[in-house]
Amino acid sequence: MKSWIFPIAQTLIVVLLLVSYYAASWFGEQYVLRAEPFDPFDPFYGEYVMLQYPDLKSSEITNDSSIYFTLKRAEDGYAVIDRIENEPFFGAITGSVYDGSVTAPQLEQFYVEQGTGPGLESARDLQVTIDVSSWGTIRPIDLRERTE
Amino acid sequence: MDTEQKLKQWQEAGLLDSETAERISVFEKRQPVPKKLPLLLMIGLIFFSLAIFSFIAANWQAIPDLAKVLVMLALMWLFYTIAYFSEKKAFGSPLLFRVIGLAMFGATLLVAAQTFHFPLANSLLPWIMFLAALAHYFYWRNLIYSVIGFFFGATVLLSFLPDIGWVEWVLFIAVAVTWFYFSKTFAPVAFSWLLLFASGFMLWGLVEYDSLLWPIWTLFALVLLLLIVPENKQRQIRPFYLLTAGMLLVVYLAVRGQTFISLVDKSHMAEAIALAAAAFGVLVLSFFKFRSLLWIAVPGLIGLLLFDETAIGLAVVAELSALGYLIIAQRQNEPLGLGFVYFIVVQFVIYIIYAWERLDMSLFFLIGALLLFLLSAIAWWINRRKEGVER
Repeated sequence: MKSWIFPIAQTLIVVLLLVSYYAASWFGEQYVLRAEPFDPFDPFYGEYVMLQYPDLKSSEITNDSSIYFTLKRAEDGYAVIDRIENEPFFGAITGSVYDGSVTAPQLEQFYVEQGTGPGLESARDLQVTIDVSSWGTIRPIDLRERTE
Repeated sequence: MDTEQKLKQWQEAGLLDSETAERISVFEKRQPVPKKLPLLLMIGLIFFSLAIFSFIAANWQAIPDLAKVLVMLALMWLFYTIAYFSEKKAFGSPLLFRVIGLAMFGATLLVAAQTFHFPLANSLLPWIMFLAALAHYFYWRNLIYSVIGFFFGATVLLSFLPDIGWVEWVLFIAVAVTWFYFSKTFAPVAFSWLLLFASGFMLWGLVEYDSLLWPIWTLFALVLLLLIVPENKQRQIRPFYLLTAGMLLVVYLAVRGQTFISLVDKSHMAEAIALAAAAFGVLVLSFFKFRSLLWIAVPGLIGLLLFDETAIGLAVVAELSALGYLIIAQRQNEPLGLGFVYFIVVQFVIYIIYAWERLDMSLFFLIGALLLFLLSAIAWWINRRKEGVER
């Protein structure tokens, strides 16, 4: 009978992962980011869009493999950097900055429905909706064409 | 032709008496009938499962995110359930079904990560699979789980790069040591040992101080493992220590001999001396505790020898240790195979370093090798004659 522990424990782990993911929406804030696709081709990982964020700029730290930042909503409704530090602080998103452009691993690529990738890539002007939990984890919700 | 008919035939031919024939037929009737699935049913089942899979695949985009994960989870449960009943009712292979169940768990994690945009760059998913495989190993003690565990352990190590933290590193070592300590058979012991050795390489990412000697320090640290394991396990892993020590010598010799840039930071002399001191410690410890492992102290000299740009010191140490090992192993009647491989590799590396494009040198080595062959042939001849006299 003990052998049932394995599927049960493994199911619990998956549930835990999913709960931690949904928790970002339950205890967090939603942001919409301006996004642009770049370098959009990978034959192995299926269809996804590589994204960069024109609004997420850092002037203080320009090149660092690990930085910590929070977001705030700007007047036009799109998110910009609120606070950016070299050291971790509570609620911060862990990311990196290259040439002044800030990004986080979960934001860099976005898996999309098979067939919709090329359309999104040619659209150039995109927007990403994410939920950020109060402890700094990100839940990407949606990627679509930007209508301004 | 069935058994009854055969028996009747043999009886008629006078090969069997009726009593024996009766006994055979009673015995045969008591044998369990082999359960076989009809071929058509098997083909049908295969097609049916293919149909289900292609149906799921075709509608994958239309399935809600959560349902995708649930489908994979259901598959995992299906295979664990089949495994359970196959063990209970003794059909099929429970091991195979369980391994598929574990694979389905991995697939569930992957699907969850992809549908919910989890960051795949961190080590969370490899960690989960590593621990799940080890848990399976400790419960069922099967080789296949240790192979899976080793694979995901290595993935965990790789996923540490480039940013690695002390906490995670220590945790990994703790898990690997536990695996090592509680394993009895060769494969898991070897796998966990390899993971432990590989985790030493992570020191390059962990410590600011840029040492060239981390692999040797790791090997010396692993000597402590020998103190906590019983005698038979010591014997199991002894070749790993010797092999690694030999490989380290050869690799450092090749790197030092072939690179002309100044590899060695002059300020690292203190570390080299410390390593030599540690090697002395290893020497003393192995002299009293496990004498056949004395050889692993030799790489401790590498730190000091790296300062010599010609690498002649390293070459001499490698050559002497190879010869010394062979001679001593020969005298103690121990297997010589690995010693010979090491000896040949050392010759090869030395040849490449020093004699490449130098005909005079290579001729010198060639003649040396021929002389060695001649000497060993003479030694063998004398040995044989002596044995012959004794007989």
